[in-house]
Amino acid sequence: MLDIRNATVRYAAADGQEVHALDRVSFTIPARSIVVALGASGCGKSTLLNAIAGFLPLTDGKILLDGQEIHGPGGDRGVVFQKDTLLPWSSVADNVALGLRYRGVPARQRRERAHELLDLVGLSGFEDKSPYELSGGMRQRVGIARALATDPRILLMDEPFGALDSLTRETMQQLLASIWASTGKQVFFITHSIEEALLLGTHILVMSPRPGRIVARYDADFVRRFAETGEADDILADPAFIALRSELRALIHAAPEARAA
Amino acid sequence: MSLALETNETLRDADAPPRPQKPRRAPRTGTAVISTVTLAALIGLWFAASQLGLVSPLFLPSPLEVLHQLQSIAIDGYAEGTLTDHVLASAGRIGAALAFGIVLGIPLGLAMGLNRWAKGIFGVPIDLYWGLPPLAYLPLLIIWLGIGEASKILLLSLATFAPICYAAQAGVRSVPVERINAARSLGATPLQVFFTIVFPSALPEILTGVRIAIGASLSTLVAAELIAARSGLGYMIMSAANFLATDVVFVGLVVIAAFAFILTTLMKWAERRLVPWKGKI
Repeated sequence: MLDIRNATVRYAAADGQEVHALDRVSFTIPARSIVVALGASGCGKSTLLNAIAGFLPLTDGKILLDGQEIHGPGGDRGVVFQKDTLLPWSSVADNVALGLRYRGVPARQRRERAHELLDLVGLSGFEDKSPYELSGGMRQRVGIARALATDPRILLMDEPFGALDSLTRETMQQLLASIWASTGKQVFFITHSIEEALLLGTHILVMSPRPGRIVARYDADFVRRFAETGEADDILADPAFIALRSELRALIHAAPEARAA
Repeated sequence: MSLALETNETLRDADAPPRPQKPRRAPRTGTAVISTVTLAALIGLWFAASQLGLVSPLFLPSPLEVLHQLQSIAIDGYAEGTLTDHVLASAGRIGAALAFGIVLGIPLGLAMGLNRWAKGIFGVPIDLYWGLPPLAYLPLLIIWLGIGEASKILLLSLATFAPICYAAQAGVRSVPVERINAARSLGATPLQVFFTIVFPSALPEILTGVRIAIGASLSTLVAAELIAARSGLGYMIMSAANFLATDVVFVGLVVIAAFAFILTTLMKWAERRLVPWKGKI
């Protein structure tokens, strides 16, 4: 379980003005849950993820992973980035096993684990390809496999499907739902898509900017059905889904920043 | 034309699913052919100009004369050495300077890209000397180190060091921060981040720096040998110029051009081998 208590991040911007990126944000990510942070750009959701990943120190507050305060990044929190961060000089299998290499796992075991994970994300047989031979969606699959390789306690996903075309995006959402159902990993997921948040989240945090904070919390259950059936269409047509979507949309558009944009 | 297109279309339709076409190799060979033809045309023009007597042989010797002179210098030598002696003398200086530039420039450049203290301390002297024309401080190096090899190799090393050092520095700064963060979140230690992320990410820029250094060393080499040397291609050219032996000057130029071409080809090969991903992500 991940416990975020009063997380606050302030920093001085280039023009010397103080930016209040995150203001006393508190929530927990229970086991076997997908917590989605939803909001327009600038609402602090990426700051929040970077703080949980350990890339960014908190100005105030603390983050506990299974009761232990986190300091800096570590293999217990796997991160999937929006921009693909695969190493172009390594094969797909070596990319997936990068975290295991850092731990000194022998090459043979690394290869086996990479094979297993590529199978999980539907990329069997791509072990020896180079990342630049893959499409954007495939690279993101490799990114997910890499983050899972060290068997982290939580998966942090920073708008992982934001740069993909809508068809690939749907497939990737299905993939994530089924991986979540089969591994039971806790997931923290960032998006600015209301549908994506509802489709994938067991808990949804709506955030608003300046200062970045949580303005509303929702529980949802569509992801279980999604993981079972793999069909998004029925869920998107569900009246409960539609009602919640309108509510969330109204809430986000009420934020001053969204109106300005 | 339109008929040919139609036939093509019909054929493709008959082949029910349109198969993805293999990338054509034609453009690549096309460029090579154009380049070869251009080179041949230039030599042809040169041949015609000297054959028709358009230019005095004193200014422009014929290609045959240059070829003949090349053979004679290779066997009998010119200016106290055979062609091989001169080539080896020049190549040795360039080799030593490149080795110096690579061995010192890469680590220092990496350090300067990673650490602001290193950048602050070494940045100023490098910026200052890199702005100076090498020939302007060559007299100083000769006063300090004498007329022998040391002053020449130091001059050339200064010419190769700066571009390699700058390139390594720029390479470090161009490493995407997400790539570093990804490695850290996978549990990499700072040393592992350096060897598995920073150095390979900077490698394409470093190799570009080495290419620039080769160019800089070649131009500085000839200049250095023109002023104070007893061997080398620049010295050979300078001696020939004193006697208006234009054909020997041409031989020197042709050999230097070939030398530069070989080095550039080697670097392109090294880039293909070491950084095949360059420009692809």
